[in-house]
Amino acid sequence: GTTIVKPFIYGNISRYFGKKREEDGHTHQWTVYVKPYKNEDLSSYVKKINFKLHESYPNPNRVLMKPPYEVTETGWGEFEVVIKIYFHDPAERPVTVYHLLKLFQSETDIMLGKKSLVAEFYDEMIFQDPTPMMHQLLTTTRAVSIGTYKHETDFEDKKVKTLGKIVSAKSKIRYEIQELNDRLKKKKESIQTLKEQIEKLDDTDGLIEDT
Amino acid sequence: MAAGADVRDILELEGQEQQFITKDALMNDKKKKSTRKSDVSFKRPEGMHRELWGLLWTDNKDAPPIIPTDTNQGYKQMKAKIGSSKVRPWKWMPFTNPARKDGAIFHHWRKVADEGKDYPFARFNKAVDVPTYSDLEYQQHLHDDHWTRQETDHMFDLCKRFDLRFTIMHDRWDREKYSLRSVEDLKERYYNICNILTKVRAPQGTEPKIRGFDAEHERKRKLQLTKLFDRTPEQVEEEEHLIAELKKIELRKKEREKKTQDLQKLITAADSNIDKRGDKKQTKKKVHTQHQKVNQGIPASEPSGIKFADFKTAGVSLRNEITCICWTKKLKAIEQVLEELGIEFNPIPTEDTVTHFNELRQDIVLLYELKIALATCDYELESLRHRFETLAPGKAPPIELTPKQEPGTSLLSAGSDSVLSTPNLTPDSPSKQKKLSEAIDVLGASPGTPNRKRKAAIEQSNILKKIKQKV
Repeated sequence: GTTIVKPFIYGNISRYFGKKREEDGHTHQWTVYVKPYKNEDLSSYVKKINFKLHESYPNPNRVLMKPPYEVTETGWGEFEVVIKIYFHDPAERPVTVYHLLKLFQSETDIMLGKKSLVAEFYDEMIFQDPTPMMHQLLTTTRAVSIGTYKHETDFEDKKVKTLGKIVSAKSKIRYEIQELNDRLKKKKESIQTLKEQIEKLDDTDGLIEDT
Repeated sequence: MAAGADVRDILELEGQEQQFITKDALMNDKKKKSTRKSDVSFKRPEGMHRELWGLLWTDNKDAPPIIPTDTNQGYKQMKAKIGSSKVRPWKWMPFTNPARKDGAIFHHWRKVADEGKDYPFARFNKAVDVPTYSDLEYQQHLHDDHWTRQETDHMFDLCKRFDLRFTIMHDRWDREKYSLRSVEDLKERYYNICNILTKVRAPQGTEPKIRGFDAEHERKRKLQLTKLFDRTPEQVEEEEHLIAELKKIELRKKEREKKTQDLQKLITAADSNIDKRGDKKQTKKKVHTQHQKVNQGIPASEPSGIKFADFKTAGVSLRNEITCICWTKKLKAIEQVLEELGIEFNPIPTEDTVTHFNELRQDIVLLYELKIALATCDYELESLRHRFETLAPGKAPPIELTPKQEPGTSLLSAGSDSVLSTPNLTPDSPSKQKKLSEAIDVLGASPGTPNRKRKAAIEQSNILKKIKQKV
């Protein structure tokens, strides 16, 4: 079978007003979004994306049918946004991503509202044995924007770093496993010899003693 | 009704009374007439209780709810059925008991028919065969250093008198003349004599029946019984408590043995696993083209590793979802190690990263389990060492219990002799490399728990010792 991997980015960017708004107590403006990792048009295979916001928002279900897939709102608190991605192919089930809207951070610039806070994550959609139609849609994508396309976070760099760390960690653990293994073997041997010794003593002593 | 009449009286409503009376009279008349008509009523059977009959039959002349049967029988107060035979006369008769030696005549009531028959209870007069010996026999075979001739004779006399009831004999023993003999002594002497006599008297060639009597054993047995009987309630409680503890210890021992067995398999798996890693990726790719959900972990060479859902579904899924595993105790260990390493729990999910990350987690789990195995081995060693010391106190155990202290030893090194000291103080390790296995706290969150658990193990072995001493 075939596997098609479509990486994408999801998350939010938020900014503090600088003050608390009088009417509704909102303090931040934020945008929650889904973007393709590479410069391509999601709408060729994505039918719609549903962003489910907190119940306190009017019409909490925000549906986007075409790019840019994002919702901009104002608010005062963090909550979980349920992002559901529907595909053109009815055979494919929609994919759900949960994202915790991030507004607050202890860095001073962000707290003051001079800088925006970005919280975005990388994920991949794995299409296993798609239908021919879907396959077609997935493979023929065109670029969506002219010019350089980049994200707030340098994911490539992150990828490389993470992989590096994991690989080194693996070798470390392997080494320790080996070591523990050896120790365990030695211990087992000593247990065995000790048991034998005890058995010998047991036989000669006799167990019941009269008090 | 009476109150009503009073009220009417007070209110002087006489007219109604009259009416009432006349109504009554009318109704009575009617009743009388009706009863005359149908006089067919079932007579209550004799002896049947009125209420019972009322259940069956009411004045409404409804059919009784049961099929009428012959109820004459059974409801009468039954008189006792005594045999219809004639009365047998009894007579005051004299009788003798042949068991008695003095020929006393007693009287009692007996049936005339039984006159002349023997006293039936005389047949219970049985005597035990106590052997007798002649002087010659005594001098030849039965001589004993501890027993004088007179003593032996006295004892045999008692035997005859009391039908070998040794406890009575022991009580009647002549304490002034002879030294006090215990019941076992008497029995011993008696059975010895009997056996010798039977051996001697048996005609050539036949096998004499020897009575086995082990005096020593009897003495011990009785001593133990008296001890058992004399136990104080506290002692009884203590014993029960110890038995319960013993059961617990055995149970735990079994569990530990099981665990070590499992981990033996694990070790062999770990050994072979590290070799297998290379060709695992190929095997995975071969497992394609399955449209059902296959929750396959790694190929089953690792029996207790963590299973990662390998979604080979025809459909969409998120890689991030796939790499998540459900909560287990092992997850905690994994988290700790990952923290140490500085790797985030859900790293950026690309294909390579994910595979490596999964493998890493499996390795961590393996490490964790090896640690547990090591811990159980340590406990076993400790308990064995204690047993060894009780059996051979003072001797040094023949094995090297302090393995060479590697730099940065892990939390659970069994090196220290003073077992109850905090084992997580790593000895001076000048090396900078901190072991990852240290990060895994196998036994619990707090460093105190390895301490407590080891103490518990020691207590258990102490209890074992106590039980052995008691027995």
